Amino acid sequence: MIVAEGLHKAFNTKTGRIQAVQDVSFRAEDGRITGLLGPNGAGKTTTMRMLYTLMSPDQGRVTVDGIDANEDAAGVRRRLGVLPDARGVYKRLTARENIAYFGELHGLDAGTIAQRTEALSRALDMADILDRQTDGFSQGQRTKTAIARALVHDPRNVILDEPTNGLDVMTTRAMRRFLHGLRDEGRCVIFSSHIMQEVAALCDHIVIIAKGTVMAAGSADELRAQAGESNLEDAFVKLIGTEEGLHA
Amino acid sequence: MSILSTLFTVMRKELRDLSRDRRTLALTLLMGPLLYPILILGMGKLAESRVKSQIDQPLEIPTIGAEHAPNLVRFLAAQGLNATQAPKDLDQAIGDQRIDVALRISDTFEERWREGRPALVEILQDSTRRAADVPTARLKAALQTYNGQVGTLRLMARGIDAQVARPLDVATQDMASAEAKQGMMLSMLLPLLLTITSFLGGAYLVMDTTAGERERQSLEPLLATPAKRSAIVSGKIAAACMVGIASLVLTLVAFKLSAQLSDSSVGRQLNMGLGSMLQMLLVMLPMLLIGTSLLTFLSAASKSMKEAQSHMTWLMLLPMLPSYALLVYPLKSVLWQYAIPFLSQNQMLLKVIRHEHISPTVWAIYLGANLGLAALLWFAAVRRYQQERLAISG
Repeated sequence: MIVAEGLHKAFNTKTGRIQAVQDVSFRAEDGRITGLLGPNGAGKTTTMRMLYTLMSPDQGRVTVDGIDANEDAAGVRRRLGVLPDARGVYKRLTARENIAYFGELHGLDAGTIAQRTEALSRALDMADILDRQTDGFSQGQRTKTAIARALVHDPRNVILDEPTNGLDVMTTRAMRRFLHGLRDEGRCVIFSSHIMQEVAALCDHIVIIAKGTVMAAGSADELRAQAGESNLEDAFVKLIGTEEGLHA
Repeated sequence: MSILSTLFTVMRKELRDLSRDRRTLALTLLMGPLLYPILILGMGKLAESRVKSQIDQPLEIPTIGAEHAPNLVRFLAAQGLNATQAPKDLDQAIGDQRIDVALRISDTFEERWREGRPALVEILQDSTRRAADVPTARLKAALQTYNGQVGTLRLMARGIDAQVARPLDVATQDMASAEAKQGMMLSMLLPLLLTITSFLGGAYLVMDTTAGERERQSLEPLLATPAKRSAIVSGKIAAACMVGIASLVLTLVAFKLSAQLSDSSVGRQLNMGLGSMLQMLLVMLPMLLIGTSLLTFLSAASKSMKEAQSHMTWLMLLPMLPSYALLVYPLKSVLWQYAIPFLSQNQMLLKVIRHEHISPTVWAIYLGANLGLAALLWFAAVRRYQQERLAISG
């Protein structure tokens, strides 16, 4: 379970101080897919980075399975599987070597790594690319490799930044099945997207983020009721207050 | 997961990654070993043949006023210095380097010679030109010999023992060891080449694993693992050091092999024993650590590979500084110089090349100071890796 409480984060840029995230709070329960939905530049990636301890919040705190990220960042990271916005698979290594490298960094032994690689390869349908160097992989193949790499240590909590970005329809459907599989195993899955249909199709709980703060949260039905709109798309637009940046 | 096993994991991965990039690996490892021996042996050969041809072969000395001193001209010819007609634009010719050295015998030579007063002969040369050194020295020596001979004869003609006019008998005894003399050429180049190899030998790998990894956006997932950042940095530094050591060993082996194939005197000096080679490796080890740590620190602060590479210009200059500094300000052996990076490598390598004994005190100062600096730079690199903005690519 991942809990964000009152997260704030600001950056200094050339044009001045930008408040990227302002008072973001939500709970992502185990056995549920929590979707962070918001337009581009809404603060989703910054929020995610604070969740996986790459950034520390100016204010507020993150707890993962009850562990405070400020106190035990390494402990939190051990419980997280992270697919960052930047996939960054190593081009000159094979997919299998990419996965094994992260397994070793998580302190797994060779036997466990081989076993996990086998399981993930089956779940993600990547047996045919496992022993190829990732140079020349398609976007989908790279994403699969990055996801397998992120989940090699069998984490209870999974954070995925726009996992379906740039994937074709078939791969997207396979990815959805895979995420549902993770949920059904009782894991806590957080998933960010700027594509409304994506979030609606996948998520049990939706957190709408815009302008760096939480605009609304709840299931798809609850959000529709909250906005007083029968159409989900209209509900989103109403809740965010603008159509800007939201891909329909 | 212990720090050490993370370090080895990261190092193994970086080395494997590099080994897949065959061309870069070959350039990194083989460029020095192939290029440096050719450079050193070739320059040695050139220098040797220049000195040989200028010493043994007869030289033509353009002479003005040769008709005023036929005896002197004959004497010079006997020494292999043949007077020739000087061109009209003699000054210009020396300036243009068409003529190395020339002689002017003054118009009043005959007259003053007959009166037994000093007669003027002038050597014309450009003292800033190395090529003129040997011919000028030969001409000077010949004139001095003639001077001495005629002077002695004149005194004898007046019934005076020539010894009276020589109150001092000045002789120079060269205390430099034979090896030190031979090593002149080597002492200029070898320390510089070895220092550059160890200081910047792993540069590509370091930049690629830090600035490059950041640019390819693989640093963020890497830093999201529970692996300790200090261990990740150390693993990357260790990988670059392995490449650096390999390239140093190959360079030394290449020197050894080419020395055995060459018959020049530079070749003979390069023929180092195993002990010397091991000492050189030990001397270069701290430099390797300093170089890779400094580069890691700089690369981690760079936004892109391009920015990291632009540091190379001033980094290349650092190893050359002591050579130039020593040229204008030669240092005596003082202990503090073994604590100054770059200068100390230069001095330590010179000692090894000259087969001088290196005392334990010097070793202690050298290793202490340089490894201390390496540790400091390593710590700075680790601190950079702890920074939040490092992980954020783009």
